[in-house]
Amino acid sequence: MFIGTEQLTHTYMPGTPFATKALHDISFNFKQGDFALIIGPSGSGKSTLIQHLNGLLKPTSGQVVFEGKNIGSDKQELLRLRKRIGLVFQMPEEQFFSETVFDEVAFAPRNQGFDENEVENKVIEALEKTGLDPNELRMRHPFQLSAGQKRLVAIAAVLSLNPEVLILDEPTVALDTAYRKNLFDLLTGLNHKEKLTIIISTHHLDEAAALADRVLVLKQGELAMFGPAVEVFGRREELYSLGLALPPVTEIMHGLAEKGMPVSTSVYTLQEARREINKVKRRDRS
Amino acid sequence: MAAQPSTIIEAKDVDFYYPGGEDADSPALSGINLTVNQGEYVALVGPNGSGKTTFLKLLNALLIPTHGQVLVKGISTAVESTLPEVRRVCGMIFQNPDNQLVATTVEEDIAFGLENLALPPEEIRNRVFKTAALLGLEKLLSQPPHLLSGGEKQRVAIAGVLVMEPECILMDEPTAMLDPAGRRDVLNTVRELNRNRNIAVIHVTHFPEEAAGTDRVVILNEGKLAADGASAEVMTDLQFLHGLGLQGTTAVELAALLRQDSFPLPPQILYNRELVDSLCSLGQNS
Ligand SMILES: Nc1ncnc2c1ncn2[C@@H]1O[C@H](COP(=O)(O)OP(=O)(O)O)[C@@H](O)[C@H]1O
Ligand SMILES: Nc1ncnc2c1ncn2[C@@H]1O[C@H](COP(=O)(O)OP(=O)(O)O)[C@@H](O)[C@H]1O
Ligand SMILES: [Mg+2]
Ligand SMILES: [Mg+2]
Repeated sequence: MFIGTEQLTHTYMPGTPFATKALHDISFNFKQGDFALIIGPSGSGKSTLIQHLNGLLKPTSGQVVFEGKNIGSDKQELLRLRKRIGLVFQMPEEQFFSETVFDEVAFAPRNQGFDENEVENKVIEALEKTGLDPNELRMRHPFQLSAGQKRLVAIAAVLSLNPEVLILDEPTVALDTAYRKNLFDLLTGLNHKEKLTIIISTHHLDEAAALADRVLVLKQGELAMFGPAVEVFGRREELYSLGLALPPVTEIMHGLAEKGMPVSTSVYTLQEARREINKVKRRDRS
Repeated sequence: MAAQPSTIIEAKDVDFYYPGGEDADSPALSGINLTVNQGEYVALVGPNGSGKTTFLKLLNALLIPTHGQVLVKGISTAVESTLPEVRRVCGMIFQNPDNQLVATTVEEDIAFGLENLALPPEEIRNRVFKTAALLGLEKLLSQPPHLLSGGEKQRVAIAGVLVMEPECILMDEPTAMLDPAGRRDVLNTVRELNRNRNIAVIHVTHFPEEAAGTDRVVILNEGKLAADGASAEVMTDLQFLHGLGLQGTTAVELAALLRQDSFPLPPQILYNRELVDSLCSLGQNS
């Protein structure tokens, strides 16, 4: 198993009147190099699950597994683990605390004890990976940046340690469509070129569905579905009943199929839909 | 000169500069003239940084124009003594609910604004329960808000504004953090308030589907008004939208691609159903 959980259960504030069982008996396994998607209604446990995957939260029972080994609670080991498994929180720019972009991105490498020369290299490399210009931005105050740039700085701050797994909790929330597309292009590049395993939670299926190797669906803290995208997005009625949606283009294909047009409904992008409709219509005419 | 009775909001030659902002000479908004009437449902659209949030804050008197005037039901937002009335008329829902939840339970939070209206406790309870039920929050009423997930918090914040039955609701990307069902709930609820009680709505959104569902779309770009027209017209003008880095609905985008492939589709396609129907009727004719 590369990264996943075994019978993971998490209860917030156990033994108090506010005890909330956020995850119940979750077992799954993402493969190395996966682009993995975690979806589910709000409150279903996505953020709780994500925070277990780099050891930020501890299971109430069950295990989190990385490279076949259980994640323990040894401090040094967790520090090493977080170097390899990077986590970008939801709305991460709200937690910026540095005066400059450079210091924000340098925080983790400094924390890991790299000397300033190495820190400098890591910061520049990380900013460049996200497509930001280090020379232009390094001395700027993070709050002076645009919303999309801030999000990229937060991602650079995590990439600065060269993680092998990059986990992002709803990374596209409140980004406009241009920044959103830019972000998904960046994640695709990291996944393909840098061979990073990417795990994201999102409600934006326009871009994400087509990229996903594996999809995990949570329902009130339980694992409702787990499998390849075609399999999960093929279970339309179940997704609807969970209050979830299909990728927008897929909805259109279902609309066509229901009216008798023999199109595939396993279609997630505009270009795929265009090809599929052309194919069927050409066949019609000939 | 009094504003016309049906006018809720009037922005007259509004410029706004953030004092001490990085670019003290470049305005966040400039030359804005806009009138919103009772019962109108307006989408406010534009790239990140175009001034949408700034504009909503001007309408709610959280910011005062540097030049020009904002009138809410004829009352200038620059007059200190009438601020409570301005804010009663225009309730505001922020993008991130964390900053607006203040009480120790969800129930108290929803009731928070009502406490100042000298209503009988019974009436307060009734209104709170009704609003909570509308947004599916009944089960969370006794929970402390900080324990909720992001999506749950946003629905509580929305309930806190809806319960005041304002004459205009200002919503700053209110659905950005919600799941598809939560989004639909909120949109339906707001639509219903708009239709049945004639409440005006100004709704900032990055979702083309949400903008398409309103009566009127106003587009901001770099602090200036770039478009103001019927949703069906603005949201089908793809060339214009793309020029600003914006997108059309999935149906509009796919229809445009298919037109490039010589599908004779009518120009006014906005929704999935319209695209599906058009494509299927093409099949029958050929
Ligand atoms: N810090 C916390 N303390 C107590 N309960 C929490 C906390 N964070 C989340 N929860 C609860 O755990 C459940 C799962 O929340 P979360 O993992 O944030 O879901 P999602 O990310 O899918 O919206 C929800 O019922 C939520 O109210
Ligand atoms: N508190 C602030 N101080 C200085 N500049 C700001 C502040 N808030 C926003 N701005 C600037 O004003 C412009 C408009 O921002 P905003 O209204 O937040 O845009 P939008 O909501 O469309 O993303 C941006 O250039 C932004 O950087
Ligand atoms: Mg979450
Ligand atoms: Mg904004």
